[in-house]
Amino acid sequence: MIRARNLLVGYGGEPVCAPVTFTLAPGRVLALVGANGSGKSTVLRAVLGLLDPAGGTVEAFGRPVDERETGFRMRVASVLDDDAYFPALTVAEHLYLTARGHGVRDADDVVAHVLDDFGLTEHGTSLPVALSSGQRRRLLLAAGFVRPRGLLVLDEPEQRLDLSMRSRLAERLVQERASGGSVLLATHDPVLLRAVADRAVLIADDECRLLSADDAAAAIAPGVL
Amino acid sequence: MDPEESRSPDDVVSDDDSAAPAGAWEAPLVGPTDVGPPPPGRSIRRYTAAAANQRGGASVGQLLNDVYYVVISLAIGIGMALGVAGTLREALPEPPAGGVDAGISLPALVAVMVVGLAGVLLSLAGRLGPVGAGGAEAAWWLSLPVDRRGLLRPASRRLPLLAAAAGAVVVALFDTGLLAASDPARVIRATVGAALGAALVVLAAGVGQSFLITRRTTALVGDLVLAAAPLLALAGAVAGWRLDVLPVAPAWLLGVLAVVVALLAWTLDRRLDLIPSRSLRESGSVANQAVGAVVSLDSRELGRALTDGAARARRRRSVRFRGVSGAPAALLTADAMVLLRSTRHLVQIAVAALVPVLVALVPQLAGPVGFLLAVLVGGYAAMTATGEGARRAEMAPVLDRLLPLPAGHVRRWRMVVPAVVMLAWSIVAFGAVGVWAGDLPTWLALGIASAPVWAGAAIRSAYRPAPNWQGPLVATPMGALPTGVTSVLARGPDVVIIGMIPVAIAILLGSVLPALLIAQMVLSAIVVAVSSGTRTMMERMQDTLDQDAAKPAGARR
Repeated sequence: MIRARNLLVGYGGEPVCAPVTFTLAPGRVLALVGANGSGKSTVLRAVLGLLDPAGGTVEAFGRPVDERETGFRMRVASVLDDDAYFPALTVAEHLYLTARGHGVRDADDVVAHVLDDFGLTEHGTSLPVALSSGQRRRLLLAAGFVRPRGLLVLDEPEQRLDLSMRSRLAERLVQERASGGSVLLATHDPVLLRAVADRAVLIADDECRLLSADDAAAAIAPGVL
Repeated sequence: MDPEESRSPDDVVSDDDSAAPAGAWEAPLVGPTDVGPPPPGRSIRRYTAAAANQRGGASVGQLLNDVYYVVISLAIGIGMALGVAGTLREALPEPPAGGVDAGISLPALVAVMVVGLAGVLLSLAGRLGPVGAGGAEAAWWLSLPVDRRGLLRPASRRLPLLAAAAGAVVVALFDTGLLAASDPARVIRATVGAALGAALVVLAAGVGQSFLITRRTTALVGDLVLAAAPLLALAGAVAGWRLDVLPVAPAWLLGVLAVVVALLAWTLDRRLDLIPSRSLRESGSVANQAVGAVVSLDSRELGRALTDGAARARRRRSVRFRGVSGAPAALLTADAMVLLRSTRHLVQIAVAALVPVLVALVPQLAGPVGFLLAVLVGGYAAMTATGEGARRAEMAPVLDRLLPLPAGHVRRWRMVVPAVVMLAWSIVAFGAVGVWAGDLPTWLALGIASAPVWAGAAIRSAYRPAPNWQGPLVATPMGALPTGVTSVLARGPDVVIIGMIPVAIAILLGSVLPALLIAQMVLSAIVVAVSSGTRTMMERMQDTLDQDAAKPAGARR
């Protein structure tokens, strides 16, 4: 589903981390871990086609990543750190926009279900400005689940979520994996990592290493990174 | 990473080619199952706009009111500009009988200015995109599998239309005001040609964006065209090129131009789907920042948006500053580094230095009024470029807070880089005036004496407070503005107006009297002292009032 070979990412031709190689198969979850600024988000941006690789290749669904293709956008859902919303659209309308934009016919049911899953039902008619930072984060995450997808790319999804919501997010990601979807996520949360990830890539300057979820969780435990 | 290390026995994560399905898009999807084809992008855009309009609370009456204000403001602005241009035209010397034998004719200078403005337009088009989607549009639209053409079409038309309108107004002003053109057919041809030319420049930048030409490259080409304009004028003066009237395209050429513009517009429209999301996001982000700066009347933020938006993304080589010792040296080095690393500001200073030189080369402009305007406009343009370090420090005062220097000292030290640059500018500018007046040494002395005024103004405008948007608003033809906004925006230009009075008198008189030189030195010292202050006069008066109020009644008496 995703195949990165010696993928080198950076800005202006200057790499931010060592080349990374991984393949993510359907129904699996791969985590990217590493210290702040190690290049996790940059790798995710390259996988999403938002950044040209400085070297190596990255393929999605058997072809080079090109986010300009509607087929790619149809299959890849991403939740990055875009804390931007249409000020005049309510929470539910943001989700309807996403669902209908993907051709979802039963958008009403899907949106209602996802709003409930992310604890946003009572905020469905609220404008984003009325939400707390954590609730806005839930809205972003919810948008990833109101649409069909083959690959879900999440950049530190645990950020600004309370423990209860982190736990529910982990359940959703486990369901995603069980349904045959793939998840690529960058995270600093060892609990989320252990709960959902099959393997992890430790991103660093000198070398990127493939680890088991437990080893990666130990590597990012407090006091280690 | 060693591929062997990433090999996994269970193919969860591996470099095994068999792990990925060969069927490409046939991979299974999860989530909602009752899915049809995605809607057209246009319907997504309209859905968003309809929701925004529904909650915007703006009635048709209010909308018409806003349109009325915009039209009236534009009409007033154009009328004022026409009046100024006409007055300027009347104040300028008559063209020499029998045409211009040496230097540049006024129409030639206007032609060069049009070339320079085309460079500015291209540079702006590159910095702003010209096609972009920022903020919520980037986050919620660009990830949808809809045609981006339908989403981006209005955004792709906005800048070319704006550029066409601006180009038409500017050239019409030049032609009817400065050049006193009275033939309506000629003015219309010039205006239509300018509108088409401006639209062509922006559309070409847009097509370039769709061919993955970076915004930085487009902006750089625009900067180079701008820098080439005064050089072109100088070359014309040296080579003896003559131009008695501003060239205007004939009707058939306008037709060709219109066809080219239409073709470019069609090409851009067809290629909107090919502009990568990263380019749209970057452009949209810069455009949003720039619009926000304009709406909040923050020229510093506008400059930062336009400069940083097209900056090279790579890390620069770190300089270790081995020769730097002490806080003042650190400040000076930081400011100099900021200026030297900004191509746009260096071009701005160079072009500004050539303005008085060009005036000296145009017999119809080479008079007291022409030189006074050239010195003030060129000096102001150069001055705003020199204060970049201070402007950035005002927005993010990291170095100011880390260094063990009082705020007043920081401002005085920060005047050094602007003073040095403006000294160089003054030598060129006042050298041109001196050659015209036939007394080079004295005019150079006056220029050197006035350089601190520019430095003080640069720092004063860089450290000006933001308008207080929480305060009461006053109605103006440009909409509601907070009270005191004029005084805030005037910080910097105010000391230029007062500090350059001796220079203005000397230029209008055509000679530098000793008293004027002494007065200039005194005023320069005053401007430096005023610009070093960290509090406004109103704040100081308020402090005095507060202290008086705090005193016991007996003591106040």
